[in-house]
Amino acid sequence: MNNVLGDKKAVAILLGPALLVYTLAMLIPVFWSLGYTFLSGNAITGFTFAGLSNFAKLFSDPAVGEALWFTIRYAIIITAGQVFLGYLLSLLYVFALRRGSSLIRTLVFFPVVLPTVAVALLFQKMFEIAPQNGLVNSALNAFGMGSIDWFGDGTRAFWVIIIMDLWRSMGFYAVLLYTGLVDIPEDILESARLDGAQGLRLIRHIVLPLSMPVLLSSVIFSINGTLKVFDSIVALTNGGPGSATTPLTLHMFRTSFTYGDYGYGSSIALLLTILCLIVTLFIFRSSRRDLTKD
Amino acid sequence: MTAPATSPTRTSTGPAVPGPRRRTSRLKALKRLPINLLVALLLIVEIYPLVWLFLGSFKTQDEFLNSPVWALPQNFNFGNYAEAWTTGNLATYVANSLIATIPSLFLIVLFGVAAGFALEVLVWKGRNTVLLTFLAGIMVPGQMILLPLFSAYFQMGITGTLWPLIITYTATGLPLTVFMMATYFRAVPREVFEAATLDGASMVRAFFSIGFPMVRNAVFTVALVQFFFIWNDLLIALTFTNNADLNTIQVGLLNFTGEFGAVQYGPLFAAICINVFGTLVLYLFLNQRVMKGLAGGAVKG
Amino acid sequence: MVSVVSRPKARVFAPVVVSAGALALLLTGCGAGGGGNSAQGSKEFSYLTNVENTTIRGELETLSKEQCKAENDAAPLKVETVPQTGLDQKLQLLAGQNALPVQFAAGNAPALTQDLEKSGNILDFEKAFADMGMTDAVLPGAVSTIKALYGGKLNVLPYQYNVEGVWYNKKLFADNNITAPKTWDEFAEASEKLKAAGVTPLSASGEQGWPLTRLLSGYLFSDLGPDAMKKVADGEAKLTDPEYVKAAEAIADLGAKGYFGQGVGSIDYDTAANQFMSGKAGMFYMGSWILSNFNDKEANKIGEENIGFLPFPKVSGGEGIDNQYAANVGLPMTFNAKKYDDKASAWLKCIATNYGSSALKNANSISGFKQNAPVENVPPLVKSTQETVNNTTESVLWFEALFSTKATTTSQTNAAGLVSGSITPQKFMELVQNDLNAK
Repeated sequence: MNNVLGDKKAVAILLGPALLVYTLAMLIPVFWSLGYTFLSGNAITGFTFAGLSNFAKLFSDPAVGEALWFTIRYAIIITAGQVFLGYLLSLLYVFALRRGSSLIRTLVFFPVVLPTVAVALLFQKMFEIAPQNGLVNSALNAFGMGSIDWFGDGTRAFWVIIIMDLWRSMGFYAVLLYTGLVDIPEDILESARLDGAQGLRLIRHIVLPLSMPVLLSSVIFSINGTLKVFDSIVALTNGGPGSATTPLTLHMFRTSFTYGDYGYGSSIALLLTILCLIVTLFIFRSSRRDLTKD
Repeated sequence: MTAPATSPTRTSTGPAVPGPRRRTSRLKALKRLPINLLVALLLIVEIYPLVWLFLGSFKTQDEFLNSPVWALPQNFNFGNYAEAWTTGNLATYVANSLIATIPSLFLIVLFGVAAGFALEVLVWKGRNTVLLTFLAGIMVPGQMILLPLFSAYFQMGITGTLWPLIITYTATGLPLTVFMMATYFRAVPREVFEAATLDGASMVRAFFSIGFPMVRNAVFTVALVQFFFIWNDLLIALTFTNNADLNTIQVGLLNFTGEFGAVQYGPLFAAICINVFGTLVLYLFLNQRVMKGLAGGAVKG
Repeated sequence: MVSVVSRPKARVFAPVVVSAGALALLLTGCGAGGGGNSAQGSKEFSYLTNVENTTIRGELETLSKEQCKAENDAAPLKVETVPQTGLDQKLQLLAGQNALPVQFAAGNAPALTQDLEKSGNILDFEKAFADMGMTDAVLPGAVSTIKALYGGKLNVLPYQYNVEGVWYNKKLFADNNITAPKTWDEFAEASEKLKAAGVTPLSASGEQGWPLTRLLSGYLFSDLGPDAMKKVADGEAKLTDPEYVKAAEAIADLGAKGYFGQGVGSIDYDTAANQFMSGKAGMFYMGSWILSNFNDKEANKIGEENIGFLPFPKVSGGEGIDNQYAANVGLPMTFNAKKYDDKASAWLKCIATNYGSSALKNANSISGFKQNAPVENVPPLVKSTQETVNNTTESVLWFEALFSTKATTTSQTNAAGLVSGSITPQKFMELVQNDLNAK
């Protein structure tokens, strides 16, 4: 039987186009760019051979360290937050709202559709302090607290970014995870209820283990997006104040094109790619193991 | 559900609604109060910004700068929309976005689903390696391939067209699509396809006649995700277009900023609204299918 | 990639990519527009500009139909645009392909323009003007500004020529018995009085950053002399030297006293301009491009007649020049030396002859080109500013003018922190100096 499924011609026809486009427009450019990690300079001034100096610089450059640390903090918090909130929402859809959830699912999903520029503008206005208080500071004032300059301090700006990105994406993850929950067979839940499992106990012992695979997939999906965050931060804080909210991608883009050091920029990109690779392989492996368990 | 009187047809159909419900309904309503409050809060948090955007599109620059953020516009004039349409050159930009997005989506779906099928259903040596190669593509930051691609497109002489966008979107959209489609196909038993070939159909035909329709809902999901990635892309569109006639709508939104940092808020909001409500219509149109698609089995690891 | 190192790779890669393109064509069954932008300069007068600047583009289009019609017939003007944020990247990509247009915006920072110059992409305008016998085409003030920026070379054209100084609200000053400040002490005093009167003394966009560092450099030039920043660029002085840190302290002090109002870091350009134009702020450091806002009757609530313009206040005992204005040419435009032929030269001549008067007449825009005909009916504030420009022979640059792009970013993104007190003056100067050392 495996002869039919091992049809070489079918493999070539079905896989060929995708592999070709992917190889030509992604793999080759990636390896081409890797070549630049041994060079310094840019397209205007021309490139010179730099040996391994870019890599040496990578480890001694405090800006890279800072950006790496920001990226990791951001990725961990957003990934955890997205998946956690998304899961809570999906539980809400499945167990509390049931059939009525369709409209709410749609509405909560919607922010992911908005252009980044629009969302960033919205949050800038909400957390505004000057020339007048935005919504958040007005609310603080109403509770007798003073206004806060949200974007004037790295830590506070970081949390505004977190709130914005969670707001945008939780509905999307809710729908992804909802899928996993809907697929849990009703009779399993019913028999667990008969055994006296209710509420949180039901979720912890029955629902959570059963939705593990879809949770892990979401985590892979999420972490790769968050490690490469670019648009939303550029639009909201542009990396500021100072360089407090600069992720690796933005630092790399600036190094390559604004500071005109394309070779070093490629080295930073390589660092980021390796980071993604390690994290994904780690999660991928554990998810595979989990899959084979059930 | 809490008011059975409103659904006489349903009660008459019998088994869907269990019997002694009325007595517990008030208690239930009380129990549901926290949940209803939570949902109400959720909806406010999600919808208010849209309303704010919409109201903002009617405000004058003066109102943006001198009135509180949440103030209502003083009057509903459509001047900003006219301004957005002309300054933003929106007709051209929307057309460009569509010309770049639709072929890319088509190619991503066609190539990606076929590749997912070949990698998950068909059995051959090295398929795991190829799958991992695609997976690695999810991790490459887009900024990294810009310079080589620009050189290549330039040498090919296609920098004055939308081809660079279509090719780049297709290539960058493939890894995630292939990966997701492979996981969808994992849920389909291989016997289905083997049975098909017993009737003499080739594997390629089995894919188009059985495999593709089976994951139709998943295809909608993937297409939706990719649509928003492509539609909202700024980096690639900015890099590979070289004149205003080729700008996509996201690049066009930058037209409302001045050289020294000034922003025309009203027209910008109007342009965003046209963009957002355009996608909203499209989205609602596809919504039923999409939600079913997502519910039909999303990323099952 | 044209550079020597990567050329062999390009040769291997090109055919592969061509086949990818061909494949894409086959699969979708339709033909590409092909062609792309031509590398030949002589066919058309191609011009790459930032999309944000509509004045220069519009004015060139007007010229192409009127005074420069003959030149336009020989080589038609073709405008390409790029958003300013994408400009530096686009220049690199185009230069790498030897595909820069005949005329182009020369980058957001002078450092990039100098890179372009070093690689032979930029025309020497001094020689070009001499060849056509027009050595006086550019106003002397503009010449000195451009030469100071680009190491003594006339590398760019002054389509804009902006002087910067302190705009002030005459009415608010009169109401509170303040006289226009000439010295730094008077400036601080005026600020204090405005604050006491419940008005924000200084309106500035910390989100942009540069409006704050302009004050810092103004202080430095006034205190240490017009070559203060050149010394730093040449390595003869460091920003961390006490006399430099003293200037940063002076600016931080303005912030500490609350003269910028609250949340200066999130005030954007429009908000800052609006605070001044709605009478909520008494003073506003800005360049003369702001005149178009001042002339907008709807935006400007205090009235054009109520706005005065002052040079940077003099630091007492300082070595700076009298009537110190900082000057710039906006986002600079230049010509591509590699595509400079007879047709491009004809265009340059026509532009240099006509642009000054034409732009002033049609757009009330002040340029650094000599006016070839007197212009009537110019708003008074524009007229007086143009006169200031015409009479200025010595001007200073700005804080980041001679910095690397990296130091520029660091300086502008940290400026708000300097005035809000989240980083110390010493630390601010250290951060910037570190990036300068790295060069």
